[in-house]
Amino acid sequence: MAMEMRLPVARKPLSESLGRETKKHLVVPGDTITTDTGFMRGHGTYMGEEKLIASVAGSVERVNKLVCVKALKTRYHGEVGDIVVGRITEVQQKRWKVETNSRLDSVLLLSSMNLPGGELRRRSAKDELAMRGFLQEGDLISAEVQAVFSDGAVSLHTRSLKYGKLGQGVLVQVSPSLVKRQKTHFHDLPCGASVILGNNGFIWIYPTPEHKEEDAGGFTANLEPVSLADREVISRLRNCIISLATQRMLLYDTSILYCYEASLPHQIKDILKPEIMEEIVMETRQRLLEQEG
Amino acid sequence: MKETPLSNCERRFLLRAIEEKKRLDGRQTYDYRNIKISFGTDYGCCIVELGKTRVLGQVSCELVSPKLNRATEGILFFNLELSQMAAPAFEPGRQSDLLVKLNRLLERCLRNSKCIDTESLCVVAGEKVWQIRVDLHLLNHDGNIIDAASIAAIVALCHFRRPDVSVQGDEVTLYTLEERDPVPLSIHHMPICVSFAFFQQGTYLLVDPNEREERVMDGLLVIAMNKHREICTIQSSGGIMLLKDQVLRCSKIAGVKVAEITELIQKALENDQKVRKEGGKFGFAESIANQRITAFRMEKAPVDTSDVEEKAEEIISEAEPPSEVVSKPVLWTPGTAQIGEGIENSWGDLEDSEKEDEDEGGSDEAIILDSIKMDTGEVSNIGSQDAPIVLSDSEEEEMIILEPDKNPKKIRTQTISATQVKAPSKKPVKKRKKKRAAN
Repeated sequence: MAMEMRLPVARKPLSESLGRETKKHLVVPGDTITTDTGFMRGHGTYMGEEKLIASVAGSVERVNKLVCVKALKTRYHGEVGDIVVGRITEVQQKRWKVETNSRLDSVLLLSSMNLPGGELRRRSAKDELAMRGFLQEGDLISAEVQAVFSDGAVSLHTRSLKYGKLGQGVLVQVSPSLVKRQKTHFHDLPCGASVILGNNGFIWIYPTPEHKEEDAGGFTANLEPVSLADREVISRLRNCIISLATQRMLLYDTSILYCYEASLPHQIKDILKPEIMEEIVMETRQRLLEQEG
Repeated sequence: MKETPLSNCERRFLLRAIEEKKRLDGRQTYDYRNIKISFGTDYGCCIVELGKTRVLGQVSCELVSPKLNRATEGILFFNLELSQMAAPAFEPGRQSDLLVKLNRLLERCLRNSKCIDTESLCVVAGEKVWQIRVDLHLLNHDGNIIDAASIAAIVALCHFRRPDVSVQGDEVTLYTLEERDPVPLSIHHMPICVSFAFFQQGTYLLVDPNEREERVMDGLLVIAMNKHREICTIQSSGGIMLLKDQVLRCSKIAGVKVAEITELIQKALENDQKVRKEGGKFGFAESIANQRITAFRMEKAPVDTSDVEEKAEEIISEAEPPSEVVSKPVLWTPGTAQIGEGIENSWGDLEDSEKEDEDEGGSDEAIILDSIKMDTGEVSNIGSQDAPIVLSDSEEEEMIILEPDKNPKKIRTQTISATQVKAPSKKPVKKRKKKRAAN
């Protein structure tokens, strides 16, 4: 069996290889953002000694008079309308507790759940008893944020046929700040797999279903074995996403696709090696820059 | 913070591996992880590392009045704390169940087994006794806290020295550390806990489960034993049904393990004793090995590029313009042609012998070159023989084979995509060192 060994090497800092024109204003907790008192302070800042000081480590964003610091490594903060991928941790009386990489567990109420068949009716006691039949502990679901409670907990709903229990696939967990906000987060990539980019940093890669099943409502898990070709595509995508996340690149369908294409000459397991990772991501970055301007 | 839930895949994977008698870290079913014991500078302070699980134990003593119903016995006090740095799930208010269970088990193991002679802790009956306090802190949680904690407790107790006391009639003299050497506690035996994790309703068992294995286990059996094979405490939790012979088998395994661990503890204590006596260095700082990682770092060589432009301009202005090279292919015989002129051959003596080799190699090259050229696809007919085109990406120097009776030609370095040769009538015979595929 061939083994690969590598010696520890000091990693060269990312910024050298970036060469970005627009330098972000990065701060650490305690840094002064500005001494101008005319600004309103937003998230991640506080006022101290006549100056605006950052309380989290991240980049400074300014919108007119509002200054806030967007943290780079943070838990997911729910906002209404976000798509999330979560894991059921508890089955409670009329709701499920879902883990979404946020500070508090998210809540999925029974009344916000789509019944199989898509029927709309009042949830009865029988439904409550049958809750475990729909979703159990450990299941993965895709859902949308309906509301955010005052303490920051998020309330989810799956009131559409595109949301629901996820079947076979691969979950990749990245930082929530790396997922770009877009119009749609469900993508069918031309390379042969589909991906759900959850805003909470959970990314679900699964084989593209041949035909959309309208009546399922997203509860029947398709447990047929996935073909080897599909599996390879999914593994390659997963490694590409991990390499993009390691190099702190924004994740969206175009960047993932370009990264996939750039990685084709390499073997799937080689993508995670540091040199090849840098090479692939550099090429992706190049193509994205060309595409923009 | 709530601990991240274990995914179904991981749970299934761990259980399947256990069914096949495989553990994630490569241990066998009855193997313990590496136990490392290190002592601090004070007597009674030690850190025990069981794999990555780390427990810090500290023993301290105080003179107090005894309990009313036990006037001649000293007081023992045990306390285990789960520090917040041990695991994200440990919060100041949140850990009650696990904490209570561990504390209770530790107390039963150490107090009820009477491993420490409490009578010897009495100074003045009914008035002054020693209160020994054992504080354990969990520094890192990687499974099997109870084993590590029990080892830390007993090691700290064995290592501890209390100040010497002498009683003359009514006079009680407490000697300080400078006046008289401190006295060790009187310990009868060393009870050590051994944990067994059960899976699949008692079908499979593992000794010393790590954190992942603990998450998927069905039940836990803890046996506290000493090296004389006396069981001090036995506790089964998790609600699994164990058979009699299973429990007996576990106790036998525990006997073997406890003997090994006791030997390890004795050795560690002796070592520490020796080092202190010889006046060597002891303490936590010494026991942490100096870890040096040799990191390869390519140092950036600073290059001064401030005057590069001027230098380049100078060179360009002073240099002569490159000479015009008109390449005319000359056909010597069918199959042998020559294109271009190179610079003067500066090899001197080697010229004669080299030329013979080149001639032989020449004919093979012709055929290969032919096929490569045809693949290019772009054959443009220039018309006359005067301007052949060679299409090649080769940046290598091209050595032109020199005919012995011709004028020495100059070696020409070819640039990318200069000209294209017309196949098949003209077959240039060139010896290329490293030819890349022509585009």
